[in-house]
Parts: sequence; C-alpha cells; structure tokens
Amino acid sequence: MSLLVLDDVEKRFGGLPAVDRVSFGVDEGEILALVGPNGAGKSTLLKAISGLQPPTAGRITFAGRQLAGLSAHSVRQRGVAMVLQTPRTFDSMTVRDNVVLGAMFGSTTGRIRESEANARAEEALEFIGLADRVDDEVGSLNLHEQRFLELARALAGKPRLVLLDEVMAGLNETELAASIDIVRMARDTLGVTVIWVEHVMTAVMSLAERIVVLDFGQVLADGAPADVMRSPDVVTAYLGDGAIPVE
Amino acid sequence: MKAAILDGIVLGLQYGLLGVGLTLVYGLGGVLNLAHGQLAVLGAIITALSFDAGLPIVPAIAVGLACAATAGLVLDLTLMRPVYRLRGEPRVLLGLLLMLGLAFIIDGFLVWRYPIQSLSIRIGGDPIPILGVRMRTGSLIASAVTIAAGASLVAFFRLTTAGRAVRSVIQDEEGARLCGINPARVRTFIFALSGFLACLVAVTRSMTAPVTVTNGIDFTTLALIVAVVGGLGSVSGAFLAGIVLGIVNTISSFYIGTYITTIMLLVAAALTIVIRPSGILGGRT
Repeated sequence: MSLLVLDDVEKRFGGLPAVDRVSFGVDEGEILALVGPNGAGKSTLLKAISGLQPPTAGRITFAGRQLAGLSAHSVRQRGVAMVLQTPRTFDSMTVRDNVVLGAMFGSTTGRIRESEANARAEEALEFIGLADRVDDEVGSLNLHEQRFLELARALAGKPRLVLLDEVMAGLNETELAASIDIVRMARDTLGVTVIWVEHVMTAVMSLAERIVVLDFGQVLADGAPADVMRSPDVVTAYLGDGAIPVE
Repeated sequence: MKAAILDGIVLGLQYGLLGVGLTLVYGLGGVLNLAHGQLAVLGAIITALSFDAGLPIVPAIAVGLACAATAGLVLDLTLMRPVYRLRGEPRVLLGLLLMLGLAFIIDGFLVWRYPIQSLSIRIGGDPIPILGVRMRTGSLIASAVTIAAGASLVAFFRLTTAGRAVRSVIQDEEGARLCGINPARVRTFIFALSGFLACLVAVTRSMTAPVTVTNGIDFTTLALIVAVVGGLGSVSGAFLAGIVLGIVNTISSFYIGTYITTIMLLVAAALTIVIRPSGILGGRT
C-alpha cells in the first residue's frame, strides 16, 4: 500500500493553477525525485503536502489519513517533515537547541519529555555527522552544514516521510556526495520515505529510484529514472527542442 | 544625582517589564497592543476591589494578576482571531484599531463604574540605605519583584525549550511551523503572559505611587516607547531600553521638571527610530 497518495491535488494562485490535478502514490521506503523546468510547480506541490501552502483542491492521504487542510505543524506531527532550499534554522540558538525544537514539537509519538527530546536530538545529530558541533551557534555553520542541521531537525521528530526542496543546490562535489549518502542512509537505516525536488541532475540520476516529471503543474512522466529521462516528451519539456537525452 | 540614577534604574526595570509584553505580542504576530496599559490598570483595579472586599493583599494581587492574564488569553482567543487570519498591512491596521477601541472601552468602563478607585500599596518601615542612598521599603520590594520577574523571563527564553519555541516563532514563523510548533498557541500563551506582566508592573508601581483608573494611556505610551527603543520583538532590548529611559526620566524630571519627562522619552524613541531603526541592540532575540 502506498504511504502517500495524491489525488487530483490542485494549488491555484489567483485563478492560475501552479499545481494542476496531480495524482500519484509513493510507496514506503521509496526515494522519489520530483523534477521539471522552473515554475513547473514542484516546490508548490511539496508545500501543499507539508501544509505550508495548503492545496486548493484534491486529497492528500498519508498513512490512510487526510493531510489536506491541516496546518504545517499538524502535518509535521503526523510524520511528514520538510526541508527547504534556504535553511530555516534559528540563528540565535545553538545547533542542539535547533534540533531539540524539532524533536520536541515535531514528535510523531505524541508529547515527549525534555530528556527524551534531548536524546533524540543527540541521536539525529550523531546520524547526520554534526555531533561535534552541538554547542556551536548556527551562524558559524556553512550552507551545507545548515542544510544537514535542518535535516537532523526533521529526522529528530522520527518522521516517516521527508520532503526535500532543492537541498543540493549550490554545493561543491564533496558536499554533494555527502548529501546523496546521507539521504540514502536515512532511507536504508531509518526507513524514511523521501520525496525530493532537485535540479542537480547528476544527484537525481545517482540517488532517485523513481522520477516524476512535472510541467506546467501537471505530471508529464512517471517511472524509473533511465526510462523517464529518455522519454522524448521529457527531453523537450525539460531541456528544450533539440536537446540530447541524458544517458 | 546618584539618587536620581538609582531611582531611574528602579523605574527603568519596571518600564522594561512593561515593554516586554508589548514587544513580544508585536514580535509574534505584528499586533501593537494599544490596550496594554489598560490591561495593567484593569488588573490593578481588580486587585484594589478584591482588597476592599476583604481579601488580604497578597491573595488580592494574585486575583488581579490572574484576571489580567485571563483577559489577555480571552482577547487572543476572541478579538485577535480575525486579526491573525489577515496578513501584512491589513493585519497591523486591524490589530491597531481593535486594540485602540478596546483601550477606550476599558478606560470608559473603569471611569464610569469606579471613578475614584485606585490601587496604592503602602509598605511601612524605615528607608534602607543602598549605595549611600536612602531607599524606601516599597521601592525596594517593587525592585526586587521586578528583578525577579525579569530574571525569570530571561531564563525562560534562554534556557527552556518552551521559551526557545517562542523565540523561534518571532524569528521565523514558517521555520517554527516546520518544526511542529503551533504559532497560534504560542501567541495565546504570550498574550496571557503580557497581561500578567502588565498587571505586575501596575502592582509594583502602586508601591511607590497610586495607580488610578486613568493611568492606562500612560502605561501604554511607556510600553510603546520602551518597545520601540528596545527593538520590537527583543526581550533583552526592552529591559535595556527600560533602564536607559528610566534614567532619562528621573534625571530630566530632577533637573528640568516632571512636565518634560514624557516629551524627553518620546524624543528618545524618535531618535532611536532615526538612528537605529531595529532598536538599541540592533536585532531580535
């Protein structure tokens, strides 16, 4: 059974559909990349799922329950955590304090004690590889580390689904490789399902198990990476006429 | 001079506590609570009425504080609901208008119903010398209560997860929601807390000078000035601003006259906006 089912999900901004009746399901443990040209509605779709920008129509069923219409904090507590492209960490706090907030308030196992929140935060930071920076101010972290911090903050609540919005943009080769590893590890060891919006195609091709292509807010293609990226429709929409398919 | 500065610090700590509530409510939701002082006076008058009805002073104060906090809580859950549904400028404007209207209603009600009621808590005992200045016992107790309240607030915001959750909403509401924090619940809690703190300031003020039913506007003005000088949304800024303004207040009334003090405070606030628009600490905590 699918963990997440999108059913005719629509998000309009003043009459214009940014996401236009999108339907697909995501299985538990899948790493799904959502790709498409700029303005295709990828980030909007993620924000609709997360409750940051609730959909204007359609159903979003997560683990058998409706998410559409819930606000972001409730969605998070039900097990869907989101990491945005621009880190939304809190600068005036330490690395640990940031993650404890996610562990405490984003907990999917109901209200937890402060000590338990601390333990989960430590665990998440250990997993992500920031254990030696726990007492540092967030301001001293670089972009890559801040994104890892935000991922730790997401994972600390023990979510079942993680939504990643272009978290690999602007990274160097080493950072990119580390990011790919950590996402794969999160799935393999923690069992989280991942929906991931990305423009960095090398990362998509090496990590995604399935690709959904959006164009003008609609699903253009859906399938295994190699098949999808060879599809003539996708090549035209994504790279323009006359482009050479990705091998 | 030394006496004026010491008095100024005592007064300033109270200003700080008064400004904190206003600054937090604004920082969390963009609502400038123009009825802040009226909540303080409401609590003070309820304290006086409870005392007159025969309650000992400490329980009477507790009743006043509880009523002011409840008033804040109820306001947030009723009058503020339509305000928080709006975004941007409409939210700011509707918030301003509703709170201004509420200020008039509370003022009008108190003047109509209890025109000569006031809260004046007299604490006996000989003056105690502090740094060579003889301080009245009432003034010392007021300072002790204010310092304790201020220290508890700072500790709450710095050291507890709940306090950090409040700060996170002030800093980045969307980021806080992504953590699973419910901003509406945080705002309700802080509105109640700000009512409680406003009333606490009125109670401590009444230990040195009577608080009357018409003092609401004075408290609101002071809170506004403190919040602007300290930087809207900043807790430590509010306390620092409170102390600076307290000293400005006592020195200008000592050397020039009490008639000049409010003008001096408004000048200080206006200068702050011109020189450092985000407050004396130049940032948010």
